Amino acid sequence: MVTSDSKQVAVDINEVTFRYGNIRALDALSLEIPAGISFGLLGPNGAGKTTLIRLLVGLLKPKHGSVRVLGEVPSRRVAYRIGYMPQLHSLYTELSVQQNVDFFAKINRLSGGAERARRVEETIRLVDLWPRRNDSVVKLSGGMRQRVSLACAIVHNPPLLLLDEPTVGLDPELRVTFWEHFANLNEQGVTIIVSSHTMDDAAHCDHLAFMRDGRVIAQGGPEELRSDTGQTTLEDAFLYYVRSGERNAA
Amino acid sequence: MLPRYAFTIAGRVCRQLLRDRRTMALIVVVPIVVMTLIGLSFPEGIVLDRIAPALLATMALFFSFLLTGISFLRERSQGTMERLMASSVSRLDVVLGYLLGFFIFALTQTLIILLFTIYVLDVNYNGDLWQIFVFQIVIIAGAVNLGIFISTFARNEFQMVQFIPLILFPQVFLCGVIWPVEQMPEYLQWIGRFLPLKYGVDGLRDIMLSGMSLIDVWFELLVLVGFTVATSVLATLTLRRGVGG
Repeated sequence: MVTSDSKQVAVDINEVTFRYGNIRALDALSLEIPAGISFGLLGPNGAGKTTLIRLLVGLLKPKHGSVRVLGEVPSRRVAYRIGYMPQLHSLYTELSVQQNVDFFAKINRLSGGAERARRVEETIRLVDLWPRRNDSVVKLSGGMRQRVSLACAIVHNPPLLLLDEPTVGLDPELRVTFWEHFANLNEQGVTIIVSSHTMDDAAHCDHLAFMRDGRVIAQGGPEELRSDTGQTTLEDAFLYYVRSGERNAA
Repeated sequence: MLPRYAFTIAGRVCRQLLRDRRTMALIVVVPIVVMTLIGLSFPEGIVLDRIAPALLATMALFFSFLLTGISFLRERSQGTMERLMASSVSRLDVVLGYLLGFFIFALTQTLIILLFTIYVLDVNYNGDLWQIFVFQIVIIAGAVNLGIFISTFARNEFQMVQFIPLILFPQVFLCGVIWPVEQMPEYLQWIGRFLPLKYGVDGLRDIMLSGMSLIDVWFELLVLVGFTVATSVLATLTLRRGVGG
């Protein structure tokens, strides 16, 4: 697994604004995410989390401001160093688990037959699907498809993982398993950026950014956010920032 | 900018279609059923002989466009295209990869139609069979690219279905498939000159009815190759790396 220096910056977002027509999805948003940590983008639906991740992966371009990922403007040149897991499963449902993972390994510059085959097997075993490797994705449950999708994102050992709501629809046991995978990757120096709207996920992250209406309304470690607001849960801490923001606006 | 992953994408498209047995069965059965119905509706062989070139050109265009357009759109609605575009592949990789992948199946379908028309419906022809097939390959290449290009304008399957009559009916009516182009008003003849099926129908008629060679129909071939290149470029340019906005 590729390691990265924790003092380096993995993602640098500077005053980014993005609109879908008249709807402002991101509003002068700035964030600096250090390498080697797990960073949670937390907020309700429509907060701008998916838009931000799509900007980081280069699928969208900011209308104003700048984005740098691993020191570069997001593009094809840097894409193979990023593992992207979209919100939809985004898998080839007729293909088998192994064929899906192998395809994403190939297009992410993992060449060399034997080495690639070894890495594909290792990744499928990691997500505990090796016995089902020859099954078509269409035959798998939702949770299994999530695991295949994760395998496709990590098969090429990227130093940065962008995971858009990776735990949505997972049962509590599988959610714990996913976070164990993420913790293992973190230990190997991989930077993980996870978007979520559930505060269960938030507790697993090293650092959080609470998002609402395309802005970051607060950021810090889970414990820091709780203690700063005097709340016992992250959900209450989030609501505290939302309400104090509304009071200030009024 | 070199298409480094085009063959990887083409291989994946082929594996995907081959594993979908129902689609594979339909790719084989549907053209046979359609051609059988057409054959039965023309009991007089001589009539079928005369309309066969136009039918073969139309079928090649129709089935290739349909197969590619719907499949490519499905990639986008399932989110796999977004994931692909977020990787290191270029737009040229994607267009060439899908062109190669779909082309193999469109070619198979066209070959089935051609052999069924010649050997089962017993259509008489004058030119060489291989020259007829080579000419059809050029029609298919353009149709596959047209499917990719048009599908970039559709957001869902319903919109794509609306494009089918828009693309195909004008060509069927203005390119001499049903009645001679010369009997149409001048302005409609003029529009027909911009439609690829006209050159497909004219070229196949020249080969199958007049016994001409591929060299004799160089102009029609050149126009169809130009159409293929143009739709390739347009498909590459209109394929967005982004997903909206």
